[in-house]
Amino acid sequence: MATRVISIQDVSKQYIIGHRLNGSIRDSIKGIFRRKKGSKEAFWALKEISFDVDEGEAIGIIGRNGAGKSTLLKILSRITLPTKGRFEICGRVASLLEVGTGFHPELTGRENIFLNGVLLGMSRKEVRKRFDEIVDFSGVEQFLDTPVKRYSSGMYVRLAFSVAAHLEPEVLIIDEVLAVGDTEFQKRCLGKMGQIAGSGKTVLFVSHNMSAIEQICNRTVLLEKGRMIALGPSSEVIQKYLSKSHPSVIRTESERKGDGSVRFMDFRILGTHGEEKDHFFMGEDVVFRIALLFNTARSHCDFNIEILNMLGDPYADILNHDFGLEVSGNAGETQVYEITLPEVWFAPGLYKVNIGLYKFVETYEVLTECLSFSIEQGGKIKRVTEYSPIYKVYQPSRWARIQS
Amino acid sequence: MNKVIIDSKNRSLGINLRELFKFRDLFMVLAYRDYRIRYAQTYLGFLWAIIQPLATLLVLVLVFNKAAGIKTGTVPYPLFAACGMAVWTYFSYVLSQAGGSIIASQSMIQKIYFPRLIIPFSKALVGVIDFLISFALIIILMLVYRYSLSWTIVYLPLYFLAIILTALSIGVLFSAITVRYRDFQHIIPFIVQFGLYITPVAYPADLVVKRIPTWASMIYYLNPMAGVTEGFRFSLLGTDPPSLLSYISFAVVIVLFISSLLYFNRTEKIMADLV
Repeated sequence: MATRVISIQDVSKQYIIGHRLNGSIRDSIKGIFRRKKGSKEAFWALKEISFDVDEGEAIGIIGRNGAGKSTLLKILSRITLPTKGRFEICGRVASLLEVGTGFHPELTGRENIFLNGVLLGMSRKEVRKRFDEIVDFSGVEQFLDTPVKRYSSGMYVRLAFSVAAHLEPEVLIIDEVLAVGDTEFQKRCLGKMGQIAGSGKTVLFVSHNMSAIEQICNRTVLLEKGRMIALGPSSEVIQKYLSKSHPSVIRTESERKGDGSVRFMDFRILGTHGEEKDHFFMGEDVVFRIALLFNTARSHCDFNIEILNMLGDPYADILNHDFGLEVSGNAGETQVYEITLPEVWFAPGLYKVNIGLYKFVETYEVLTECLSFSIEQGGKIKRVTEYSPIYKVYQPSRWARIQS
Repeated sequence: MNKVIIDSKNRSLGINLRELFKFRDLFMVLAYRDYRIRYAQTYLGFLWAIIQPLATLLVLVLVFNKAAGIKTGTVPYPLFAACGMAVWTYFSYVLSQAGGSIIASQSMIQKIYFPRLIIPFSKALVGVIDFLISFALIIILMLVYRYSLSWTIVYLPLYFLAIILTALSIGVLFSAITVRYRDFQHIIPFIVQFGLYITPVAYPADLVVKRIPTWASMIYYLNPMAGVTEGFRFSLLGTDPPSLLSYISFAVVIVLFISSLLYFNRTEKIMADLV
């Protein structure tokens, strides 16, 4: 029988979303005089998480941004304490929540290997023993005695990951550190991780890269709003995550602008089968269903959809006229439109949608950033390394060998 | 196989000495890092570590000896002041470095676990380099003035330990307290600045003690550095042993050190959430 390595029981973490209650004495003094601390707000980043991990298992942890993945890793790495519950970990733990923690730009590559290695839990003796391997793996031996501030970011990341890759822990906790470096190096990192997972070590791995999770992890935990909503074989949990319907009604905080003569009443993002979802694999069809209410009769409207990435870089501009659709309506009339975007090949990431109705300079209504959807790597794309977000789109291609 | 059990119900205040010992390499590496980056990319580099105490000593001699006319009996004034300065430089360096150390390493604290106490503690080691330079200066001055070492030097390690404890206890306390209240960052420079005047660094303590009533002297010795500095000079130069009142200083050091550690330990648990 496999030995239990990690046992987590009812772990919860509460944060006080202080409206800056910590930070200065003045606030604390105010806090004494003011009885009710109305501006304090408790927020459970994790709620009653329990699961066990056996020796040699690789566990993936997935979930949307803010689901509590990183908080869980931070607790298991002992960086922060759980508010409730307890957990046990047997064996030496190495946690990689970031590549190159403690690297100092003024120090040379050699010195940083020692600094980082010791920070990650090796003794100086162990670092010395593995030093050549680390340097070999990183491929920066020529620059060992150069301060790392002179390194290119690629070299920096490679050196940092190499140190981490040569830890010899019994339990390895990894946050999305693979989303760095060039493809070549990522492949090596993933290979190394697969090797670590295959060598009987226990691995906990957070990632947005579903193909990597599926390849490396035998079981996967799905978190949503701090709760664990699924635990099971990776492929099943990933399916559940991707197909999970998230009601995508118009959020109230989104900004409405315009004279309101036509209003957006409902806006949903759907999959090809009409199911509501907001996670798509690269190359999947994305469908927008939008309901309009004409408060006043309007004709020949410009119905515009704009897609931006999380940084606000515009990606796509979609307009009804492009395909000859006329948008007009009488007062009091409701209309529902379905706009299908066949095969969206954006790079994996989160995208926001703005929708608007105009006519020349008149704005009837604009909703900015009212909905978002994410494109996940996987599906038709077989590559396991992270598709770098520096490339904005993915260009599908057909490959054939025509001569051999 | 080592096993870690974290239970939110466990509210123990104990300090895990075994764990601190396990991370001794980190202590060395962090100290080395600080030492290396201190004079990185300066033209004079390590020379600064020598220029600074020399310049300080020169100012002390000019102001306190030549201008204010402070007499130090059988001990030549430059030697007297060099001892005080060695103590004070070390103390102020460790205090100010350790005091801001947790805030300064917040990126590390949020990404990796290790006993946080290592961070302020490692500053005590970094300061030793400066201390050794000042110490060399004292030895040179002794040779110049043909001043022989006294047998009392056997007490030196004890007093040096007291300096470390004093600097660390205040430093550790401030490093933890600034995590919650950033205001305290601004207090350390005051302590360093005013402390120089209320500590017998550039003048003998009895110059003050003789002129004020006993109760005031007791308050004077509440400053832990008062007794410590006197004791250091006594052990090195064989001057009059520090007055009995200096035991107040030592008691303060011990109480301060223990309570700082306890406070730090309590704050350590929430440091990553606060910084």
